[in-house]
Amino acid sequence: MSATDRANRIELQAADRPIREVNDEIRAALADGREVLVRDARSRHNLGVGLPSASRVRFEGSVGYYCGGLNDGAMIEIERNAGWGVGEAMARGEIVVGGYAGMAAGASMRGGLLHIRGDAGPRCGVAMKGGDIIVEGRIGYLSGFMAHAGRLIALGGAGEACADSLWGGEVWLAGPAESLGVDARIEEPGAEEVESVEALLASRGLGDSGRDWRKVVSEQRLWHFESRDAKAWLMI
Amino acid sequence: MCGIAGRILHAPGPVGRDLVELMDAQVHRGADSTGFALYGPPRDRGFVVRAVGMDRAALGRDLDDFLAILRDHGSDLLEDPTWDGADTRHVSVRMVVGDIRDLARWSRDADGISERFEIQSVGRSLEVVKDVGTSAEVADKHGVRDFRGTHGLGHARLATESSVSPTASHPFWARPFPDVAIVHNGQITDYYLWRNRLERRGYRFMTENDSELIAVWISDRMRHGTSKPDALGQSIREIDGVFTYLIADERSIGFAKDRWAIKPLVAMGEAPELAVATEEQAVRRIYLEEGDVINYDGPAMTRTWPASLPDAPIVEAAA
Repeated sequence: MSATDRANRIELQAADRPIREVNDEIRAALADGREVLVRDARSRHNLGVGLPSASRVRFEGSVGYYCGGLNDGAMIEIERNAGWGVGEAMARGEIVVGGYAGMAAGASMRGGLLHIRGDAGPRCGVAMKGGDIIVEGRIGYLSGFMAHAGRLIALGGAGEACADSLWGGEVWLAGPAESLGVDARIEEPGAEEVESVEALLASRGLGDSGRDWRKVVSEQRLWHFESRDAKAWLMI
Repeated sequence: MCGIAGRILHAPGPVGRDLVELMDAQVHRGADSTGFALYGPPRDRGFVVRAVGMDRAALGRDLDDFLAILRDHGSDLLEDPTWDGADTRHVSVRMVVGDIRDLARWSRDADGISERFEIQSVGRSLEVVKDVGTSAEVADKHGVRDFRGTHGLGHARLATESSVSPTASHPFWARPFPDVAIVHNGQITDYYLWRNRLERRGYRFMTENDSELIAVWISDRMRHGTSKPDALGQSIREIDGVFTYLIADERSIGFAKDRWAIKPLVAMGEAPELAVATEEQAVRRIYLEEGDVINYDGPAMTRTWPASLPDAPIVEAAA
């Protein structure tokens, strides 16, 4: 935040205070047109859920579960790590995680951008239905599981069972995947698609034309499931 | 959904207070019951026995029977028994007893005293304290915050598949292996099959709780020569269900996590001192400042952390 921003900024403490009280104060400050800095987030859960558009909130330190969930257009920045379900069901807006994002980051999100500077845990982008997730590191086990739409972009590759049971949407990998999940296949991306992904990355300061992209999409066999094929889906 | 935690101190200290704090932070994960496996400085001889009587009015009779059986097995009380003074019908008892000739035989006889009296732990250093209610309620009732020791486990239970009672709570002792206890977050789906197999080999289970299996399963493997890290790894491949469990003995705390990576676990701290818990915000009750957190988020993981006890005595048990 710039010096002029600072005058319009309010600082709150999360620490061991009741989360509802902290969230009420965040909302009140945003309604006043001010920016919010939350200090000592102490890995607490449910911080900054359902925040409105054109608002700006920064969390100092690490946050717990569901931070920025149901985001309706806010610009949210998390200095260090985020727990389970960061940005769950986000509709629009932007969330930046400075470090590691725990399990199910961006679960069921419908729009907006989730940018994770570190690695992401298992099931990143599970059931996502739109928007973009950028992970500068690696995405964990079962990432993209049952996603319907949107792009999950991982610069550091993926863990086991990548894009398992993908219905739609795309998982973009600039690094190796330990294994692909069922009903996932690698497709050669078109030049325009690559351009679009690279443009998004460049807008985040991550431009690099030398990447070797693999795009993982649904093989669509699960779209028409037949019980006689059940064996193909058993993972154990 | 349940919450679990473990704590290791670099020297004997307020481990009870820390575990109460870790579980209080996870009270939303289950408030049906809360329990603690507390490890005090190990005794050179004799055992601490923790038990629950389901009928306070019959406690005198149950303790008489307990003592008679104890003497039959070559042991005796070393201290007068103590128990909580709450107004609940059930009562938690603490006893210190001398060495017992054959722990497995004694435990089989002692478990037969009465349906209303159940031994909850036996160990040189282990004491299991568990009851219905929240972390704060159980801590207040049983003075858990005052317990000083080297390490321990905590559990907050949201009951899903068996009854809510002081005895069906976690932690579970690995009957009859002294000093072994577990806490578990998840469901074991094939526990009845494994229990049948183990029962045929002489083990006894006291509840219908799926988690009671785990400690005995691991201890039985180790009794047959498998190392603890190997036994933890085998449990991931052979036991079916979703689980993250912590297992402790007088020397260490270990964990295993299933192949589906459903139940989280985080660790924070610098060896030999650390805190582990289901949720990061719980370990942050101990470590208020930002620091390195290890997220055990992946599938099929195990790890063992040594407790700060270089020369803890080893006690053998035969089933």
